[in-house]
Amino acid sequence: MENKTSKIQVIIAAKHFLYRLGLKTIISVIGIDPEITEIGSLSDLKSFLNKGYKPDFIIMNNDISDESILDQITAIEFPCRTMLIGDKGQELVKGRFEAICLENQKEIVEKFQEFFFEPESKQEPSTDKSLLSEREIDVLKTVALGLSNKEIADKLCISAHTVITHRKNITEKLGIKTIAGLTVYAIMNGIINPEEVNQ
Amino acid sequence: MNNILPFTTKTLMADVIHIDYRLIPILGRFGIDYGFGNKSVIEVCEENNINVYFFLEIIKSFHNHQYFPQEELQKFNADVIIKYLSSTHQYYSERKVPEIKEIINTLEKSVDPEHLSKISLLNNFFKDYIVELLKHLEREEKNVFPYILKLEKSISNKVYDVSLIHDIEGEPIENYEQSHENMEVKLSDLKNLIIRHLPPVIRQDLCQKLLTELFRLENDLKDHSRIEDKVLVPKVKQLEKQILEESGK
Ligand SMILES: [Fe+2]
Ligand SMILES: [Fe+2]
Repeated sequence: MENKTSKIQVIIAAKHFLYRLGLKTIISVIGIDPEITEIGSLSDLKSFLNKGYKPDFIIMNNDISDESILDQITAIEFPCRTMLIGDKGQELVKGRFEAICLENQKEIVEKFQEFFFEPESKQEPSTDKSLLSEREIDVLKTVALGLSNKEIADKLCISAHTVITHRKNITEKLGIKTIAGLTVYAIMNGIINPEEVNQ
Repeated sequence: MNNILPFTTKTLMADVIHIDYRLIPILGRFGIDYGFGNKSVIEVCEENNINVYFFLEIIKSFHNHQYFPQEELQKFNADVIIKYLSSTHQYYSERKVPEIKEIINTLEKSVDPEHLSKISLLNNFFKDYIVELLKHLEREEKNVFPYILKLEKSISNKVYDVSLIHDIEGEPIENYEQSHENMEVKLSDLKNLIIRHLPPVIRQDLCQKLLTELFRLENDLKDHSRIEDKVLVPKVKQLEKQILEESGK
């Protein structure tokens, strides 16, 4: 992915201004603050992508084309995770797009969260787990289970100094300092089972 | 008017709140009720038997965290400082903690089943925190503060009995200084768990309320422990030194 700024790049492609506004609102509701490019027609979207611009996400409404949207877009190569909103084509585009129908607010929000936050393939933005390296996850696991630095070092066959460095990095990456806080994080993210923690 | 510290004895008490609404709980801690009409800070303080200069230093340092007249504050009597710290404890345990607990409980009740386990984790985390916080406050209330008041009383009476000297030699205040836990760090963890790691859209309204309360409590605690560490502890050391000198030890 080529990002000029550190912000997530999102294209919102919809013909109607109000529709684009609504999409922007939902994005902000789920807590993302991306750089948004608004596009009002399919031809603009095509030429945008042809210029080699690589967004992180595309959200497209089926009003973007007056003709059958599916005929139009199957020929386009989308460089990133793309969502098509509309009432048709859910089956047809399967595999290439996340296609959603808008039913109610709760569903929309959930769909959007899934779209933005859930990992799908190789080129996804970092999720919570990949925030930490595998080694850091190993260390976090042991910290959350209440092991001392010395015990962790022995268990993972690394020096106590390395343990401390890992712990420092984990705290920095997660913004969590205490063992109790790290334990909550580890359980929340399925890194350890709640049953493993002996209170 | 000094823009950074816009409070003097002549400032209207009503204006104190208009200038910085975060001072509302501080006024409460001093036992000041509303309805002060156009009375000034000094008038309200006199009516309520409050040391106006202490009151001003406290609200100034709360208003502007950069301002912290450590030495000035140490000059106030320990009982004045402790009275304030003690009513702050009461504010935490009787007001803030129940309020936050209530928000988390409501959150837990109203969240969809798929997120319930996450909120329950946060709830347990906070419950554990409450136990620690109350223990912390109790230790100060039951051991530390009474010891300090005893020192100050014996100085004003100029009576230094053996048991007091013996207490001082046990270095209780050094002990307290070293083991005085930081009660803010867990709150900061809780905040980060919510801000950075909780899936969005779990009752946004309640999460916002909860976060605001956590930020407030964290700030308040920072201010509070700063007074304990930087004013009270050095003050007590002075008192102890004075007693040891005057009793000829
Ligand atoms: Fe305290
Ligand atoms: Fe304290």
